[in-house]
Amino acid sequence: MKNLDSVLAAYLAGWAIFFVYYISVAQRMNTLRQQIEQLKNSLNRGK
Amino acid sequence: MIKTILGAVVLFAAIAFTAYLAFHYAPIEKTMGPIQKIFYLHLPSAFSSFIALGICFYANLRYVFTREAKWDWLGVSAAEVGLAFISVVLITGPIWAHPVWGIWWTWDARLTLTFVLWLLYTAYLLLRSMLEEPDKRALFSSLFGIFAFLDVPLVYFSIRWWRTQHPQPVILGGPGSGLDPRMRVSYLLVWAAFTGLLILLLNGRYKLEAMRASVEELRREAEVR
Amino acid sequence: MALLSNTAVLLGKELRTEFRSRELLTTTVVFILTIVVLFSFTFDPSVTESRRFGPGLLWLTFLFAASLMLQPGFLREQNNDTLSALRLSVSDPFAIFLAKLAASAIFLLLTEMMMLPIFAVLYNVHILAVLPQLVLVFFLGSLGVAIPGTAFSAISAQARMRELMLPVLLLPLLTPVLIASTEATAALLSESPQLRVDWLGFLAGFDVVFLTALWLFGEYLLEE
Repeated sequence: MKNLDSVLAAYLAGWAIFFVYYISVAQRMNTLRQQIEQLKNSLNRGK
Repeated sequence: MIKTILGAVVLFAAIAFTAYLAFHYAPIEKTMGPIQKIFYLHLPSAFSSFIALGICFYANLRYVFTREAKWDWLGVSAAEVGLAFISVVLITGPIWAHPVWGIWWTWDARLTLTFVLWLLYTAYLLLRSMLEEPDKRALFSSLFGIFAFLDVPLVYFSIRWWRTQHPQPVILGGPGSGLDPRMRVSYLLVWAAFTGLLILLLNGRYKLEAMRASVEELRREAEVR
Repeated sequence: MALLSNTAVLLGKELRTEFRSRELLTTTVVFILTIVVLFSFTFDPSVTESRRFGPGLLWLTFLFAASLMLQPGFLREQNNDTLSALRLSVSDPFAIFLAKLAASAIFLLLTEMMMLPIFAVLYNVHILAVLPQLVLVFFLGSLGVAIPGTAFSAISAQARMRELMLPVLLLPLLTPVLIASTEATAALLSESPQLRVDWLGFLAGFDVVFLTALWLFGEYLLEE
């Protein structure tokens, strides 16, 4: 069904956006987590 | 790390669930046929975005009057997540509409309002990126957010009145056009799933903002030493 | 009332500062004139087409011009570091905003009144019969632009890229003003001119909403 294809395409696009957003948030969290580790280590060493 | 994967699993399950409901459980609508099924994605996304923007407004108000950082974190999280939901509405609309109706876009009341909302909250996030000092950033973006939210009903009414005078083709027909009970159930369940999705994304983004604040604090501590 | 007298004094200062150099007014008028001419190349400027596109073009131009004109509002204070002195000089910070928005609204209205006859001539539109009503529309619309415009001028003064930020913040928010003003103007310039009280009421409501918001949150906008 041609029309159902367009519904499917829209659904896929929509969910892709959510996934991409979720992944970007997760990635940024990982980077920050690493930064926190680094900073904590350097602070402890500095003591 | 585990929590991130768990979150992704929940997200995937929600997708699968809503897709099942939309495509298999809900019956085919009488007048529009199978293309109506876009509703189970479009409307819940729009609705969730309104909730997010309401949360953003509340957080903006709380920040201005308490100056507690956590309200700023909630504000930016709600704005970003809300923007994601609005983007879904704006992108899935044309993708669905073009093969069916031959047009990518129409300036009907709903779509136009959604576009203006998108512009307002993009401006909010853009403003934040142009304000470097955290306290100033939080205060002035909150103030803008408050003004922007007060504008929303005004934008809605003005566009509605204007569109009743200059009608455009409405791509997405009105909801509730004879809701079969299975449709109603599907819609409610999908809407619940989307609310869950909203909470999941909000939670993640909020934690991210809290982490960013601790990084800044740690940096400041490191500089002092 | 202290608020009114403070506002009057500050308003006098704003007007005097501008009329000393008149650079804001002249630059804005030239800008609008340029756009009015350029627009004539984008459609067939017959009478019917002018009636259709004219009001929208006019108001869109004013919105662009306003977002440029509102910049100096708080920027001048920031550059010269006079904001804290200003705040100390009045008991109610709202007076500062009232003065600035009144000044902006006056400048906007002046510019619009200067542009109207030129527009009427260039696009063959009849304005004389409906002039008082047009002035009313432009008055309410200019207020609608000036009130949030002044608030956002204070916000963007704090940000980087402030010249571009002000339009980015302001223009989406002014959608209702654009719609209402254009509709009201178009109705007055049409073949059977009528005064759209509904749109005027809406504009007045818009002005009230944002004036109230400015009153409630003005002091926070002035924080440094």
